[in-house]
Amino acid sequence: MHAEGRGVTVITRPWQRLTLLGKILVPLLIVFVAVNIALIGLWASGLLPWLIQATLDVLGANVGIIRFLAAATVILLITVPIAFLIIFFEMKIIAFVNLRVGPNRIGPWGTLSSVVHGLKVLAKEDFTPTGADVPVFTLAPVVVYLAAVMTLLVVPFAPGLYGFDMEIGLLYFFAVGGLGVIGLMMAGWSSFNKYSLLGGLRAAAGIISYELPLILAVVGIVLLTGSLNLTTIVESQSGSVLDWYIVRQPLGALIFFIAATAEGGRTPFDLTEADSEIVAGFATEYSGMRFGFFFFAEYVNVFILSAMTTVLFLGGWNAPFDIDPVLEFFNIATPVQAVLDPGALDMGLLWVIALGAPIVIGILGLMVWMLKSDWSIVRSLIVGFLLFNLLLSGLFIGWLAINLDWVIGLFWFLAKAIGLCAFFVLMRGTLPRVRIDQLMGFAWKWLVPAALLNIFVTAGAIIVIKSLEGSL
Amino acid sequence: MRTDRVPGLGVVKGLVFAFTQAFRPKVTIQYPEHDDQIPPRNRGRLILLYDEFGTLKCETCFQCAAACPIECIDMGGVDTKNRFHVHWGPAEQYAERREESALRRSGRPVPDRTFSAFETIDLAPLDAILVEQEYRPRHALRILEQTQAAYGHLPVAALQHIAHQTGAWYSELYGIATSYPHLRFEAPTTHTVAICRCVACTLSGGGRVLAAFEEHLGTSVGGVSPDGAVRLQTTDCRGESAGTPRVVVDGNPLPRASAADAATIAAALRATVAQGRPA
Amino acid sequence: MTTEHTRIRSLDDPHIFVDTPATIYDAVPPYPPTTEREAEFYSLQDGEMLINLGPQHPSTHGVLRVVLKIDGERVVDLDPVLGYLHRGVEKICENGDWHHAISNCDPLEYIASMFSEAIPVLVAEKLLDLEVPRRADYIRVLAWELNRISSHALFIGWLALDLGGLTPILYGFIERDEIVEMLAALTGQKLLFNYLRIGGVNGDLNHEFLSRLGDWMGRAGQRIEMQQKLINENEIFVRRTRNLGTVDRETALRMCLTGPPLRATGIPYDVRRAHPYSVYPELDFEIPTRTEGDSWARYMLHIDEIKQSLHIIDQVLHQIPDGPIMAKLPRLLRVPPGRAWIAFESPRGQYGAYGISDGSDQPFRLRIHDPSYFNLQTVGLVTPGHLIADTMAIMSSLDPIMGGIDK
Repeated sequence: MHAEGRGVTVITRPWQRLTLLGKILVPLLIVFVAVNIALIGLWASGLLPWLIQATLDVLGANVGIIRFLAAATVILLITVPIAFLIIFFEMKIIAFVNLRVGPNRIGPWGTLSSVVHGLKVLAKEDFTPTGADVPVFTLAPVVVYLAAVMTLLVVPFAPGLYGFDMEIGLLYFFAVGGLGVIGLMMAGWSSFNKYSLLGGLRAAAGIISYELPLILAVVGIVLLTGSLNLTTIVESQSGSVLDWYIVRQPLGALIFFIAATAEGGRTPFDLTEADSEIVAGFATEYSGMRFGFFFFAEYVNVFILSAMTTVLFLGGWNAPFDIDPVLEFFNIATPVQAVLDPGALDMGLLWVIALGAPIVIGILGLMVWMLKSDWSIVRSLIVGFLLFNLLLSGLFIGWLAINLDWVIGLFWFLAKAIGLCAFFVLMRGTLPRVRIDQLMGFAWKWLVPAALLNIFVTAGAIIVIKSLEGSL
Repeated sequence: MRTDRVPGLGVVKGLVFAFTQAFRPKVTIQYPEHDDQIPPRNRGRLILLYDEFGTLKCETCFQCAAACPIECIDMGGVDTKNRFHVHWGPAEQYAERREESALRRSGRPVPDRTFSAFETIDLAPLDAILVEQEYRPRHALRILEQTQAAYGHLPVAALQHIAHQTGAWYSELYGIATSYPHLRFEAPTTHTVAICRCVACTLSGGGRVLAAFEEHLGTSVGGVSPDGAVRLQTTDCRGESAGTPRVVVDGNPLPRASAADAATIAAALRATVAQGRPA
Repeated sequence: MTTEHTRIRSLDDPHIFVDTPATIYDAVPPYPPTTEREAEFYSLQDGEMLINLGPQHPSTHGVLRVVLKIDGERVVDLDPVLGYLHRGVEKICENGDWHHAISNCDPLEYIASMFSEAIPVLVAEKLLDLEVPRRADYIRVLAWELNRISSHALFIGWLALDLGGLTPILYGFIERDEIVEMLAALTGQKLLFNYLRIGGVNGDLNHEFLSRLGDWMGRAGQRIEMQQKLINENEIFVRRTRNLGTVDRETALRMCLTGPPLRATGIPYDVRRAHPYSVYPELDFEIPTRTEGDSWARYMLHIDEIKQSLHIIDQVLHQIPDGPIMAKLPRLLRVPPGRAWIAFESPRGQYGAYGISDGSDQPFRLRIHDPSYFNLQTVGLVTPGHLIADTMAIMSSLDPIMGGIDK
């Protein structure tokens, strides 16, 4: 156990003496070796082609389920980077409003700081307070997080890009999204803490009060579209900016946006976690990854509410301006792959890749080296390589955007949704919060009547216009 | 538009204002790239000051060393040969490490007599341990365990010696020792005697009982008897004393306590402990 | 000191005041109630709950513990528990010199510490019957008014922060930063200045201080106006502070309220005008008042006071004479025996001090009368009936500083 003979003892150490890296690499090594042996065995015995064929058959028969599983996995996985992005926005945008700089040391312009926050949350001690109701305490963050994430299943990110095309997508969204309140109350009650109890009760009162205006505000859209299917709603906003529902239903949009702010527990309605009064509210007793779940769930909720606002009112994946006249002006016809078919080059493609890449990298590196006189040639070449990657990615994305319609749709959707997230963050930085009685008073006395008014006016307008058309 | 006429306009104005502020220049000073903010009169730098003629202001009047509650100011002597315009250089180069502060070496009255340095111990066993462990600070845990085996506990003098010899910080060793429950800083005692010193208990005879315990146990309040068997400490009667002083022996309160009882109790406790230091 | 009295007890322990229901983790004290007020406070009706806004809280302006008796969200009763920041300042002052008392009293009002330094300085000068050079007096007024502005700038931000707005406090800190940097150029320190001396001030105005002051004065008024745009007209802010914690004139006088909370009820009492000291008689300024007496009035009053302070600084810079900045005093200062009471106006109200000297160089007794201590009492009077969230708003609008309250 002494330092002598260190090299040999590394491999032969028992499990307890391994470092963390050793505990990861050694199992991976074992698994890798085992898989290789299994594959070689299968190939040698001639079973491999049969196995591959059988797998493909099974997959081919259940494409729907496979697609659904893939969509669900993707949705679960993308929530974390989205939360990281919104956390980064929160830190930077509020800092800019405060005339500060915000985090700028970790990663370029501070972009990795939210990743570091996520890792910090993982590394904290995860304890359960004495007297807490342990199963409820453990499950509360899970309920909140799942309720938030499951709603993403029906949101259409682009034409054809959705998790599950339900005919009652809108109803599913509100039904599942409302389950989050149960999680908040579970957290508030099971923490055995009066602050948490207050926070949980405030959450129940506040969020449930705003469920009603949230749903009523959307009824106008359902009347105009005639369907609860989210894809249909987005498609009915295609055309021009004037077809978007924010233009056709301004009052509904405003009510929905205010109610969405309250649903997500964002300032000015963030009294469920008012951290200058009841120090983190329902989440006071949570730490470590359980708190991380609440944390992430809140930011995912922000994204989901922005996404929903985009889908319902801002036209979803429709572009605000039409790009076809521009393309026709430049005589670019779609699809472009007939002109840019790499397969036509045959062996020339190999030469293009083998020689063209180093030449372009060299040219870019040379340009950088001439511009930045104090950098060495190696550093300039590395930066040239990065620029080359950037250039190729840009060209590839451009080709994709022109060819596949869903890339442009996804881009516009994300642009709108993330813009709305930034607006949520701006509101958090500027506005003070309302009191609980003002919150509920505002919901019941102002938003619900306004939403009902919106429904009546919309219905009346539809009847009037239909009768005018009918008589014409 | 007046903001009190149109509802919600104040909120919108605030949001627009905040949005415009995001594009203004930031007031953050990026330390350490820009740290030229220290004014010349800043009193935070540990340097000796000169007056406007270039003469050193410090006259070594010793008031600062006498006033310092933690005795961290020291005076060094250099023959200036009557030249007062001496440039002393940066403060890092001033000090020599000394074991005793200038205040104590000067013979002046020290305000806090009850603070005494840690008692010295025989360092020979400790030196043997250190030689065996090759003075490696990374073996601190082993060193501490063997020190406890040799001395029965971890005396402060031993930790100091280890720190000086191995180069590990005292605080590191202290931290290691507090992380393990089997390492202790005081000799283990078998018994505790606790007495309340509030006014009511003292008036009902507690003072005499305390004096008797101190005499028979051979220690003052808060200390341990010389054979390490009994610890004498204070407790709190919370106002419950009903005419007798509250005396708690090993967690059991005594119904009656007098000075005579103190003698018998002390003798009984010390007799129950085996001879020599308990391991 | 043992830990026996903080041990969790069972419900059968006779020391629990048996009328209180519920769990063993309540905010009840573990001894029977000793006063009527305690008995009244710790007996709970049906549905009431005791909640502890503990010393560690983001909005209690320091380490203040407030025990609230709430019925749902409505506060029924309120009991502030002080003493978490008690440092024994008055006793420590007795152990040292009158000069040591200056640095000991500094952390009393740590946000605007020129005012707390003035306590031993003004008391000693009154006992010595000392005439301070006029230039020193003008510099003192300049420093005091700058401290007042920085304290008010922080107050504005703090009130907004307790209501949930994250931005105004940082705008307040921009102002405070600039003022603190210029005072660091003048005094050498940024927070606890240790600048006033018995008989004058420590160092004269220097070029860096004056240039920073000039830069700042040119922009200050307009910048403060601009930063108010974020809050003053914001409906949420207005609805959170209007009609909140209203104190009427009789209550204000009865509870010994001073400073901006008193002037917000309409009583124009300012020590600078009522019992003039230093060179304030020669300066021309108004006493802003408001009549509503609620948190909104207190907030707006602070902004008015900032404007008045800027006006005072302007006059001081024009009127400051030349001369020495320190009176001639012996090295070992023996203050003649006697008693003296002084009062001056700090950003929080009337600061008073009563000093007794026995002829030696140490104060015999220095009793400090801090305005926040008396202002905080009204919290218990005006909060019942409001919601928990309003407790913070009311407490912040009274501008307490725990350093002064607990001494």
